[in-house]
Amino acid sequence: MAKTATAPALATGKRKLSRSNQIFRIVNTIFWVIIMFAILYPLYLVVIASISDPDAIIRGEVVWHPVDISMRGYEAVFKYRELIRSYGNSLIYTFSSVALSIMVTLLGAYVLSRPKFKGKAIFNMFFVFTMFFGGGLIPTFLTMRDLGLYNSPLVIILMGSVSVWNLMVARTFIQTSIPHELYEASMIDGATHFDYFGRVVLPLSKTIIAVLAVYYGVAKWNDYFTGLVYLRDRDLFPLQTVLREILATLQVDKSGDYMMTMADDMSSMSEAIKVAQVAKYCIIVVATGPVVVLYAFMQKYFEKGVMIGSLKG
Amino acid sequence: MKDAKKPLKEKGKGSNKQSFGSYMKNNWQLYVMILPAVIYFLIFNYLPMYGIQIAFKDYKAVLGINGSPWVGFKHFTTFFNAYYFVRLLANTLILNVENLIFSFPIPIIMAIMLNQIRNDKLKRGIQTTIYVPYFISTVVLAGMLYIFLSPTSGIFNTVRGWMGLKAVDYMSSASAFRPIYIISSIWQGAGYSTILFIAALAGVDQSLYEAAEIDGASIWQKIRYIDFPSLLPTIMMVLVLDCGKLLGSNTEKALVMQTAGNIPTSDIIGVYVYNVGLGSGQFSYTAAIGLFINIINFILIITVNKISRKTTEVGLF
Repeated sequence: MAKTATAPALATGKRKLSRSNQIFRIVNTIFWVIIMFAILYPLYLVVIASISDPDAIIRGEVVWHPVDISMRGYEAVFKYRELIRSYGNSLIYTFSSVALSIMVTLLGAYVLSRPKFKGKAIFNMFFVFTMFFGGGLIPTFLTMRDLGLYNSPLVIILMGSVSVWNLMVARTFIQTSIPHELYEASMIDGATHFDYFGRVVLPLSKTIIAVLAVYYGVAKWNDYFTGLVYLRDRDLFPLQTVLREILATLQVDKSGDYMMTMADDMSSMSEAIKVAQVAKYCIIVVATGPVVVLYAFMQKYFEKGVMIGSLKG
Repeated sequence: MKDAKKPLKEKGKGSNKQSFGSYMKNNWQLYVMILPAVIYFLIFNYLPMYGIQIAFKDYKAVLGINGSPWVGFKHFTTFFNAYYFVRLLANTLILNVENLIFSFPIPIIMAIMLNQIRNDKLKRGIQTTIYVPYFISTVVLAGMLYIFLSPTSGIFNTVRGWMGLKAVDYMSSASAFRPIYIISSIWQGAGYSTILFIAALAGVDQSLYEAAEIDGASIWQKIRYIDFPSLLPTIMMVLVLDCGKLLGSNTEKALVMQTAGNIPTSDIIGVYVYNVGLGSGQFSYTAAIGLFINIINFILIITVNKISRKTTEVGLF
């Protein structure tokens, strides 16, 4: 490859070369300025709009900076009971589900990482097959209903709590990061698998636990569909399922419950509609904030998950 | 994924050394430890597969999955003959193919361009930023689209106003649905998808670049002759995976983006199954549609995987 590169390169003078590189640097800079703007501007806009005056937003004045700073949107959001309750629900669902996910995944991954585990091929097939074929929405729904899981908070915690991909990532991690000598030494000392898992594997698995927490946690927090399909009681709804009704709709006045809460505090309906519009920005900030903050802290684990995953496939 | 073959060999070796009894005596705990994961997949994946039989029955709640009467391929025939069959299939396929064509090259370009940034701090900063949209939920993403594209107060129509153009209600427009869907998917996923390509580029032997530099290669030439060939295996692998998903469900996003106005293009198979199956309770009929798509997807993945195995020696299984 280097050979083909040299032929034209030798023909060009040094000056020409540095010029071509300079052009590249300029192109690259412009490229990244555009990308950064495209990624950050929508997020920035949400934040500045959330603290702006509703009238200024409707007049289209909020583009580069907040206008007539006002917290009315946030005040309205924090008075909205259903939102607060679903926020609490989501916290409970996410924490309990992630704890369960990590436990089940690590245990399974440990077993699959044992070189002399008999039946490994069969178990692998059993897990991997589910990545490519499934019952589909309707048979799954009817099965859950028959099991009595319909409208139960359990279904939100359990569904999707083990992912094959994460199981494989964890297996690869244990295989590659925990020295096999430790295993052999422990086994010679007469340790059982329970001992070895509890005393050696768990303490050495902090990285993979963090990776799993990020992936399972974000997936659970951001899921609206399971709540939409499997829950009837609004009291049980997770945050995203409630947000769907407020955010993913064309008309403000169609959001029902949400508008009623807004209208309660406002002098007139038109006032309420205005505030409801700003409140949408505030809701986005409140709902997404924790995840982005979590990401900021767990950033290196997030990347690591993909890297470990790519080792084997 | 290659190790599916390895255990077979090791199993042979192990069974020669020790009897099954003594193996179990030492290792029964392994089967206890894997049990929770097995139970999970049995309940949430394999039990629903048993429920697929309702696609060949007329499901009635009182009779249950087992008790409902068999009707053979009735629901499949109805679906294939329905006037909306072609439309649903076309909507799903066009959306996914267009999405693949436009989304696919962007992370590759981003990874190559990022690789050329020599300032490590800047590089890290950019990397951190491009992953952020991945953490935004489908609902919030859709919410942002509704807000930004709103004909009365959205930023897009504000900008159109500056240029003297009339406001457009994008979310109610059938022709705007696919572009909005694809552009927002790129916004959300492109950064995340670069990770694999960045990893592949980080693995390139640095002496190649040094040699190229001594020979006087420009940056463009290094990208063309070193970066791109190094990325090719990863590109192929990701392409295989993506092709396997061409009829896959992107139900959740399309569902929250669907409005009365954009139904002609936003009605994809997954959304239809949700609306008609759970909305109108036509369980058997939509289970049949779901099964039809599942089988096609399954065949697609197996085929694409085989082709890829033969041509690039990269495969999933």
